[in-house]
Amino acid sequence: MNYMPGTASLIQDIDKKHLVLLRDGRTLIGYLRSIDQFANLVLHQTVERIHVGKKYGDIPRGIFVVRGENVVLLGEIDLEKESDTPLQQVSIEEILEEQRVEQQAKQESEKLKVQALKERGLSIPRADTLDEY
Amino acid sequence: MFRYQSLEDCPLDEDEDAFQTLGEEDEDIDQFNDDTFGAGAIDDDWQEAHERLAELEDKPATARELEDGAVSDEMELLGHHEENLAERLSKLVIENELEDPAIMQAVQTQPPMQQPGGLNSSIWDGSAVLRRFRGPLLTQNSSLLGHPFPPSVTPVFTHLQRAQLLGGAQAGRMSPSQFARVSGLVCSPLTSMNPKLLQGRVGQMMPPASRFRAFFGAPPPPAPPPSQQQHPLCPGSHLQNLRPHPQVFRPDTTHLHPQHRRLLHQRQQQNRTQHRSLNGSAGDRAGHRSSHHEQLRKDPYANLMLQREKDWVSKIQMMQLQSTDPYLDDFYYQNYFQKLEKVSAAEEMHGDGPKKERTKLITPQVAKLEHAYKPVQFEGSLGKLTVSSVNNPRKMIDAVVTSRSEDDETKEKQVRDKRRQTLVTIEKTYSLLLDVEDYERRYLLSLEGERPALMEERKQKICDMYDNLRGKTPGQERPSDDHFVQIMCIRKGKRMVARILPFLSTEQAADILMATARNLPFLIKKDAQDEVLLCLLRPFSLVLYHLPSGTVTSLLQQLANLPQSATVPAPANLHLAAVLQNKFGLSLLYLVLSRGEELQNSSAAVELMQDNQWTELMSMATRELLRIPEAALAKPVSTPSNLLSLFSRYVDQQKLNVLETKLQLVQGIR
Repeated sequence: MNYMPGTASLIQDIDKKHLVLLRDGRTLIGYLRSIDQFANLVLHQTVERIHVGKKYGDIPRGIFVVRGENVVLLGEIDLEKESDTPLQQVSIEEILEEQRVEQQAKQESEKLKVQALKERGLSIPRADTLDEY
Repeated sequence: MFRYQSLEDCPLDEDEDAFQTLGEEDEDIDQFNDDTFGAGAIDDDWQEAHERLAELEDKPATARELEDGAVSDEMELLGHHEENLAERLSKLVIENELEDPAIMQAVQTQPPMQQPGGLNSSIWDGSAVLRRFRGPLLTQNSSLLGHPFPPSVTPVFTHLQRAQLLGGAQAGRMSPSQFARVSGLVCSPLTSMNPKLLQGRVGQMMPPASRFRAFFGAPPPPAPPPSQQQHPLCPGSHLQNLRPHPQVFRPDTTHLHPQHRRLLHQRQQQNRTQHRSLNGSAGDRAGHRSSHHEQLRKDPYANLMLQREKDWVSKIQMMQLQSTDPYLDDFYYQNYFQKLEKVSAAEEMHGDGPKKERTKLITPQVAKLEHAYKPVQFEGSLGKLTVSSVNNPRKMIDAVVTSRSEDDETKEKQVRDKRRQTLVTIEKTYSLLLDVEDYERRYLLSLEGERPALMEERKQKICDMYDNLRGKTPGQERPSDDHFVQIMCIRKGKRMVARILPFLSTEQAADILMATARNLPFLIKKDAQDEVLLCLLRPFSLVLYHLPSGTVTSLLQQLANLPQSATVPAPANLHLAAVLQNKFGLSLLYLVLSRGEELQNSSAAVELMQDNQWTELMSMATRELLRIPEAALAKPVSTPSNLLSLFSRYVDQQKLNVLETKLQLVQGIR
């Protein structure tokens, strides 16, 4: 029952399990315990979930207090459907390893691309030097 | 027994009705600063208060009497800290009022203790001891807690805190803390359900005190709660003094719209009834309530956020809905709702009756207040002290603007600066455009007398826009298209020109058209990445249909890039060629030709036919069209139907056939 139509409020979401995506790319899953007018969140029994490909790993983190401006989005997790996922859970060490491997691969390909362009006398301008409007 | 005044007779049971009315108070969230530092701060006489508390120190024995066999931990605490009792109590009283329900009372002198429930809620521990004393205030609580404390202990606090409150109220302020306290009491049945979760709120400590709020807080309650009558005279005298004082009116934004307030209280009451029934009934009344109860039982951490805190947040949200100009602040929602309402009104007109009751969000309009800022003045100071604040920032650094000399700049920088200038011009012109587009709405809303002024303003703005587009020159002529071309090189500029065109007069619009045609190849080149030129087609075509024949001819001339005096046409007209190879260019050319054809067919056509220039241009155009290989020809947006008849006038049958196939002028071919 939303008594204020057209608005969004986190009050109905309290004490429910949520998935929160932060600006730095982290994914947190926890019970939303408290909010305030800035959408600062208090997450309880939080778990940081790292996804690499089809695998994911959970790192238990405890209680999180997230400053509202750092939240990209958040959504309630349906506890019944939570386990209904094609993804495979692995251990923390394994997922961190996978993540490291993925980062490395990305850097390698980036380096190759820049090299190839340089050989052809081209360069991709960095986003901050673009004067595009 | 403690020595205290007549306040001891205060009955400490709760009165639901009183709390209801209390809940109707306004909350002044913006008063935080004032409450802490400014006029709203309690100007208690701390010495007096301290003396009273010192009396407590003389009775440590009573503290021991309070111990129960209930929880050994707690007993230990009591035993250890009875000496510090007075200290802590004084700290509690003299420290800041609890303004924000989220701000915890920082009374921490003992190490956190392990709660029997396994919850390490150490943040609550500070008040754990104090809470014991408040138990009896809430009779429901006391039964659950099982600590039958003598009421004697409590009134000392409450007296002091009452004094606090009264002092605070006298300043005419109502801080959110007072609201919070009130709501805290309202929620106490809930908190009693979670005895383990220590709710060491100030709110719980002061039910009698807050009852006084009802008098000078909100508008007087409809019927004074019966318990009031039992209250002794002492605080009553305070009240009598305060009652005749009118409530201090704050700036509008801190008052809740009545509808919002109603919603808030509805919700509060709902929750109260919910929890009361849960409390009172042996079984569960309704399914959903039982699940709620279930939920709370399974999840020991539930409701860490109190209902009053939730209400506090929604209150802020409701306040944020207040705006001085909903059209400005909440454009999309307001427009959306207007559209919906129009649709439903239309439906209703058909006699179907109201289809749906759409609940609209209440966005109360608040009057804009003019704040005249007066800098702070201290009494007794010699001269004026400069106090820096948000409204009156003080200059900290003497930053001097040094303009760069022209020679130092490199070409690149100059180009960059020029581009930036253009961007600024675009932005300014865009604001003017948005204003002009909005005039229609304003016109409808305005009074009769204001309308001419509005029209004047609008006209002026349109002129300004045009000047911005073409670049203001002191002289009458506009020798260079440079300014305009710069604008047209930028994606946003092109879109903006497309939007401005409908507002310009015919001559001004024609001027723009000419300038575009003149520089078309250059613009085409620049547009290769954006491909936004096409957005100009529609407004251009609209303009074209208002143009006289002479202008159309010149326009074609520009497209073909011929100077006014006819010269020997070069074998290949590069300008025109470029135009033809671009979708926009070709489409524009077609439009111009089509218009020319239309004019020919009309009565004014005689001039056109006799116009050598037109004939020449036409032959040039056809020549170019024939010359260009079909593959290089662009695909126009639309091919006007009268082109065939146009060409038939200027070329022989053979060429006509070629043109036909090439340009797919006959509808069937496609």
